[in-house]
Amino acid sequence: MIAAIGLVLGVIAGLFLEPTVPTWLQPYLPIAVVAALDAVFGGLRALLDGIFDDRVFVVSFVANVVVAALIVYLGDQLGVGSQLSTGVVVVLGIRIFSNAAAIRRHLFRA
Amino acid sequence: MTASGEGDGGRPGWGTGPDAGPDAEGDREPVRGRARLLSAMHPRATRAQAVAALLCGVLGFAAAVQVRSTQDAGLSGLRQTDLVRILDDVSERGARLQSEARDLQETRDRVAGNDSVAALDEARDRARVLGILAGTVPARGPGIELTITDAEGQVGSDVLLDTLQELRDAGAEAIEISSVEGPAVRVVASTAFVDAGQPGSGAGVEVDGTLLAPPYRFKVIGDPSTLQTALEIPGGVLEVLDQRGAQGVVTQEDSVAITSLRATPSPRYARPADADQGSADNG
Repeated sequence: MIAAIGLVLGVIAGLFLEPTVPTWLQPYLPIAVVAALDAVFGGLRALLDGIFDDRVFVVSFVANVVVAALIVYLGDQLGVGSQLSTGVVVVLGIRIFSNAAAIRRHLFRA
Repeated sequence: MTASGEGDGGRPGWGTGPDAGPDAEGDREPVRGRARLLSAMHPRATRAQAVAALLCGVLGFAAAVQVRSTQDAGLSGLRQTDLVRILDDVSERGARLQSEARDLQETRDRVAGNDSVAALDEARDRARVLGILAGTVPARGPGIELTITDAEGQVGSDVLLDTLQELRDAGAEAIEISSVEGPAVRVVASTAFVDAGQPGSGAGVEVDGTLLAPPYRFKVIGDPSTLQTALEIPGGVLEVLDQRGAQGVVTQEDSVAITSLRATPSPRYARPADADQGSADNG
């Protein structure tokens, strides 16, 4: 519950503060968001499995974001930034879907 | 790619494939899952709840910021390679439009602009020059007048022809032959001289069908001094006339007016070979 409230508060803060994204961060923010979304879905699934651990959640959240950003950065340096971004998004999307499937099974037995 | 559970907050290597879940777990598992969710929904000030709330807040914040910047960002959010590509596209398009504009401008100038006026002027000039050569327009300019008095009737078509050729060699641009008191004939490329009677009879010379009686007069437009020199050279026209008992008098003029004309010949058989002119003729 507190997590959901935190999410809502974050969204509201983002909408109303209207911060400008620094230029150096602009290519990485969308990938980081998707990676974080993947971590959150994973955390939710772990919660339903009864194995949620806040330390692991924090580590996986940060690691996901950092690795995703790193991959995109590396791709930019190699000249394949947009392709690697697409690849990262695809992989994370697949993970999100599979996590969502597990969550769905827990909640609906289907 | 199967979900390995890595990064999902669970134990590493926990997750099997997505389809392995329900079969491997008991029937009571979903109930336990719901119970856990419900229990997690209860606000409790545990560390886990606080950390999850913080990270979810960060996620929400970042997502909202990203959505907003995506909505109002035109080019500022794009990466360098995309910007280069867009720049290339734009400059290529600009070049294409520029060349198109140039083409259209040329077309406009050709249709309505100065070019057609200039072309028309040039065509008129050409027609005028060709008209002088063909004898269809009057001509005026510096030149000479050569008067030949033939007291003994010894000047025939041969002498007149020699005189004419000498004048042409000297650069005469327009020539007219006349009787001093009679008709005048414009000399053109096809001009022919025929003796009207027996040589020495003084009956005159027929020039292009017109009978000219002596004395004769040549009106010539060209460089006056060159023409006069050409006639006066030793063994030249004036000397020949002298030998035949005739007399030639050359006078340089600042302005010689040649007014006699030739009808524009219309060829019966010959047609311009140029395709454009042919179609223009047909049209």
